[in-house]
Amino acid sequence: MAGVTLSRWTMAYFAMALLALLAAEVLMTAGYGYPQVPVGAPATLVLVHLVVLGWLSLLLCGAMFQFVPVLVAKPLYSMWLCLPVLGLLVAGLIMLLSGFLSLGGVIEPVLPFFALASGLLVAGFVLVLWDIGLTLWNARPLALPARFIVIGIASLAATVSFGAIFALLLGGVAGGFTISRLLVYGLPLHVIAGLAGWLTLTAMGVSYRLLAMFMLAPEQERVSSRAAFWLGTAALAVVVFGGSAAIVMNRAPWWMLLVGALLGLAAVALYVHDMMHLYHARKRRKIELNSTMAMVALAFLVAVALLIVVLLGMGQLTHHIAAVVFLGAFGWLSGLGLAMLYKIVPFLTWLECYGPVLGKGVTPRVQDLVEERRARKWFVLYFLGILGALATLLLGASIGFRIAAALMLVATVGIIVQLVRARRLDDVPSSVRFPAGSHRPRLLMALIQPR
Amino acid sequence: MTTFIDLDVRPILREGGEPFEQIMAAVAALQPNQGLRLFATFKPTPLLNMLGSRGYTHQAREIGDGDWEVLFSPAAADTVRTEVAAAPVAATDTAQWPEPSVTLDNRDLDPPEPMVRILAALESMSTGEVLTALLCREPIFLLPELTKRGHHWCGGFEADGTTYSIMVQVGSRRESTQ
Repeated sequence: MAGVTLSRWTMAYFAMALLALLAAEVLMTAGYGYPQVPVGAPATLVLVHLVVLGWLSLLLCGAMFQFVPVLVAKPLYSMWLCLPVLGLLVAGLIMLLSGFLSLGGVIEPVLPFFALASGLLVAGFVLVLWDIGLTLWNARPLALPARFIVIGIASLAATVSFGAIFALLLGGVAGGFTISRLLVYGLPLHVIAGLAGWLTLTAMGVSYRLLAMFMLAPEQERVSSRAAFWLGTAALAVVVFGGSAAIVMNRAPWWMLLVGALLGLAAVALYVHDMMHLYHARKRRKIELNSTMAMVALAFLVAVALLIVVLLGMGQLTHHIAAVVFLGAFGWLSGLGLAMLYKIVPFLTWLECYGPVLGKGVTPRVQDLVEERRARKWFVLYFLGILGALATLLLGASIGFRIAAALMLVATVGIIVQLVRARRLDDVPSSVRFPAGSHRPRLLMALIQPR
Repeated sequence: MTTFIDLDVRPILREGGEPFEQIMAAVAALQPNQGLRLFATFKPTPLLNMLGSRGYTHQAREIGDGDWEVLFSPAAADTVRTEVAAAPVAATDTAQWPEPSVTLDNRDLDPPEPMVRILAALESMSTGEVLTALLCREPIFLLPELTKRGHHWCGGFEADGTTYSIMVQVGSRRESTQ
């Protein structure tokens, strides 16, 4: 059958992801991890993986299970896999965090945490690659947004491979000489493949399509978009393959990282240029809060690129790398994620609830599910918190960082409350909330309509 | 002997417009022995298929500068009969469908308004009636809903790659809202 149905477990992915974000922000507010302790300390590793695996990767997986079919206009290869994958990834994350906690001596290594984490996370992500990969394979030839996702999930494979090797090394399962060098020099490769490849390229691909859709902008494949794709792909290839080759040949991979950074910066410049073009070419004059906030997140991506250039010029990049990673993960990726959630959750809820009765009577509009004025202040507070946290990271005022993290935490709670209200249709007048024949959505699970 | 009515949609296409409705109106106005000579800025492949399923054969040729001339002729009655005998009627064989009674241009509407309008229009139509609509993207969430409500549809992107046209015939299996 043609067309795309709702993904049953996407809301459960989003809920788990948001819980992980809240947990990370609570820890940052409490002064856990960097900048109170070094970047490589176990506490910081707990925090970082809570954010990139628990929040960003679960968010992106949930979004991909719903929107890759939308991008390619083909059904998901297997809807059935989504729930076991969520179980594997959450269990793997818990094992990984336990592993880091045992490294820090907080808990006893009662289980081989790292080995279990490797197994569970590799299994979970392999199934993600299988499901999304076959969905894309069945939809060939692929348009540009979908090709970004191909490189994104290839980068995911690289990130998970590096991560699994690190986990086996940390768990004492593996320990050869060459492979141990990986832990010393391979960390930037793991971080770049994850943040720039998996999370950023996939987000870029999805935003080419979704932002055009939400702003009613023409979706023509532009030369600059194709160039952004090839430059981004080349950047990732240089970092992952060139960097690995350098390490295996007993050299530090810095040159590869520099070349990759230059290619990546060019890709980001073209991508930002394309997004500005979409914004100017849009037919919808008054744009919604989600699109405005996505543009703010985009400004943070520009800020990340500029910060990298300035710090490289000053020879301070390695000294301030935590600030760069923070800005990328929270300003750009999390900002975009929260902005997109503010559109996706109401839209999917509207479709689930009112889809069966559309056209048969009066039904609320998607916009009736949200109260933008109320949500706007939380988004503003969130981004102010990011700016404050960035300033304190660069200036080294760790108490200030905790205050900024508290602002982010409050703002995130505010945004989550808005998302839950949309899911529960609390902002729809009760007289029209549930017309006869509509489906009452459950918080964490979409009802798949019988055919 | 077939006579041809000329329709030149190149000016509309060059201005970025969508000539689908004019073409359909011209085809609807054709007499049994009349054909259509269409001038376009590209080979209108979906249109060839769509009119083919309505019993028109075509001859397309490039006439320079990327422009195309397509002659649509009503197929001789015996040819149609042979084809029908040879090929079983598909579920969405639009040749059997009546002229559209509702035509919507939903290209400038905010999503999901195009979907809402199509479903609302279908609710007010009688079984067997046909709706055509133009959209600016493939209505991926609408298609399962059409099938679920028992309607038949046929759609695809036109050769310019930016306009999606869909025809929907109201099905007999109408769901109640209860």
